[in-house]
Amino acid sequence: MNINHGLIQRRQIVNNLAIALSAVATVIGLFFLFWILYTTLSRGIEAMSWNLFTMNTPPAGATEGGIANALVGSLMMCGLALLVGAPCGIAAGIYLAEYAKLGKAGGIIRFVNDILLSAPSIVLGLFAFSLVTALGGSFSGWAGAFALMMIALPVIVRTTDEMMRLQPKQLREASLSLGIPLWKVNTQILLRAALPGVTTGVLLALARISGETAPLLFTALGNSFFSLNMSEAMESVPTSIAKLAMNPDEFWNKLAWAAAFLMTSFVLLISVLARIILRTNKAAND
Amino acid sequence: MNHTFTNFDAELTRLYGEIRHMGELAVAQLKAALFALHSKDAAVADAVVRGDAAIDALEREVGHDVLRLLALRQPMARDLREVYGALKISADIERIGDLAANIAKRVKIVHRHPALPVLDDIEALLNFSALMVADAVAAYHARDAEQSHAVRARDAELDERYTQLFSRLLSHMSQAPDAITAGTHMLFIAKNLERVGDHATNIVENTIFIVTGEDALDQRIKRDGTTN
Amino acid sequence: MTDNTQTLNFKVQAQGLDFFYGDFRALKSINLDVREHQVTALIGPSGCGKSTLLRVFNRIYEIYPGQRATGSVLLDGSNVLAPGYSLNALRSKVGMVFQKPVPFPMSIFQNIAYGISHFEKLKPADLAVRVEQALKQAALWDEVKDKLKQSANSLSGGQQQRLCIARAIALQPEVLLFDEPTSALDPIATSKIEQLIAELRRDFTILIVTHNMQQAARCSDYTAFMYLGDLIEFGKTDKIFTKPNNKQTEDYITGRFG
Repeated sequence: MNINHGLIQRRQIVNNLAIALSAVATVIGLFFLFWILYTTLSRGIEAMSWNLFTMNTPPAGATEGGIANALVGSLMMCGLALLVGAPCGIAAGIYLAEYAKLGKAGGIIRFVNDILLSAPSIVLGLFAFSLVTALGGSFSGWAGAFALMMIALPVIVRTTDEMMRLQPKQLREASLSLGIPLWKVNTQILLRAALPGVTTGVLLALARISGETAPLLFTALGNSFFSLNMSEAMESVPTSIAKLAMNPDEFWNKLAWAAAFLMTSFVLLISVLARIILRTNKAAND
Repeated sequence: MNHTFTNFDAELTRLYGEIRHMGELAVAQLKAALFALHSKDAAVADAVVRGDAAIDALEREVGHDVLRLLALRQPMARDLREVYGALKISADIERIGDLAANIAKRVKIVHRHPALPVLDDIEALLNFSALMVADAVAAYHARDAEQSHAVRARDAELDERYTQLFSRLLSHMSQAPDAITAGTHMLFIAKNLERVGDHATNIVENTIFIVTGEDALDQRIKRDGTTN
Repeated sequence: MTDNTQTLNFKVQAQGLDFFYGDFRALKSINLDVREHQVTALIGPSGCGKSTLLRVFNRIYEIYPGQRATGSVLLDGSNVLAPGYSLNALRSKVGMVFQKPVPFPMSIFQNIAYGISHFEKLKPADLAVRVEQALKQAALWDEVKDKLKQSANSLSGGQQQRLCIARAIALQPEVLLFDEPTSALDPIATSKIEQLIAELRRDFTILIVTHNMQQAARCSDYTAFMYLGDLIEFGKTDKIFTKPNNKQTEDYITGRFG
């Protein structure tokens, strides 16, 4: 073969150029990421203390305070949202993957689910609010949890659907050949096999809803006091960040940074956890 | 249709060519022995004895090729029958070659003694067997079952001629004791020729098996009456 | 050589069997008699319908809409395609092993016990005995007896496939269907499974689909050659591979196809 060295050289130059450009893009992205983390950390560290977890959001002018009420509120609303949303979403995902996959209905449901997935969360919050007021309620933890559930649901449905469909078709056939009924095959065998992926889906949904602000503004509103009553307005971490940051009070701003740092760490932790689950499972299966 | 794997066809062709060559050599050996007998030519007889080595060498090659084909090509059905048949036929041809060399040795000894009147019969028998072998090899080359059956049928006649020759030799030797040495060697020559006929029959029976997959059904009719 | 398998009964018989993928007729009026306690191999080029035929015998095709079979398939004389025939009963009598080893995401013990528990209520001691029996029959017991609680995914490919075989055997079926069981395995694992199939013949009637002719020649007693949905030739394996009647069969097994 007569090798054209010019061709090879040109290709190598283009290759190196592309690598260089990608590296630059990566650096730029990482730069901003680290800047955000650094800023959040440095500003937040100042206000970090145990008070964050023990004291409620302070009134204007105070020198001490925390976000205890916000933390509890987020915990309760996210917890409830997932408690209802995860089983619903997983069941819907199983249905999509196993029963509807061959009909037209499957395609339509998936399409609608994808729309919901990318819908602006404020729209979902507005819907939750109008539904709740139509039923005679008002700002409350229940409404907030409901809005969060609607945001988490499509995520879980999607991941469950994908994970179930990844299972080899022979696993399904082998189970059925043993005479085991379809519903048992789906829940006790296929779902179990897809569990790491499905769990990751739930964790990612949690990461998402823990940071949602706009829908909560419409539904749970906010509460400066500590409250365990879901029927009343409830504070949450993102809404408290919004409140604390928008006010010129210096201490409030510091608190806002601390809360932001906490949130960022939480989301980071969940992502790492999800990754660990997937990786240990992959290692066990290989 | 040819094999998808073309090397297989080439190797089979090579194998068949080796068998064909062996057959040609064996027929030539028999004819040379006949010539040595008829013209009392000791040099030709020696050449026949030396010439057997070539047939033996070919038989070893066929053995190697068959082994290789079985191991590497996993022949099935007709291909399997061909390879198996080739192995058996090469063994029969090799024996024919040995018998021809043995005949040549004995021809030399016979010619050192006074001629016996049965020499013409021996020549005729030698000619008959040589033709049988030639036709057997041709039937194999053509893979023709009918030709094979025809050759097979001639073995009966060969056996009859041998039986008659046997009795004539015995009566000669009993009447003229100095003829015993030559006569005995002639007996062996005749017996060898009867064996040549049997091996030629083996060849055609194997050909029938290759072509049809069945053993030749009717029992070979043995007319060798010397053991009656 | 006398053939004393001629006196064995027919365990499974396909009669006038047609199979359709939508409008496409994949099997054309198949008539096949499978003798009990014998291994019958289905061979043929890709797309000939051998896997399709195999999958009719336990009606696994029914989970896919648009696939249907007409004609009859007799198991011990009863037509399993008839609407009244219980699918559950069929699945307990006919087991299937697939190309890809697919252990359940459970421990080795549970893999076997799961199927049994669905059909029978056994005390734990009895269940353990059944599990051990199945694993022994599948020639896997010695390798796993000390790690029954470990996940089935920790086994090698060949062991996982034997686990799948043990799982099918545990239900004590009468017929075993193997769909290219060793395609995904290395030669040593393949030989172990072929040996296992030869032994299992004592207790089960076996049907095996394979695209490896030498495997059919090694493992089976009877061989069926299929082409484009037709059953071209069926007979004893030694006869098919030394002297087939049909030219198409001969061309396929000598490598002259295509």
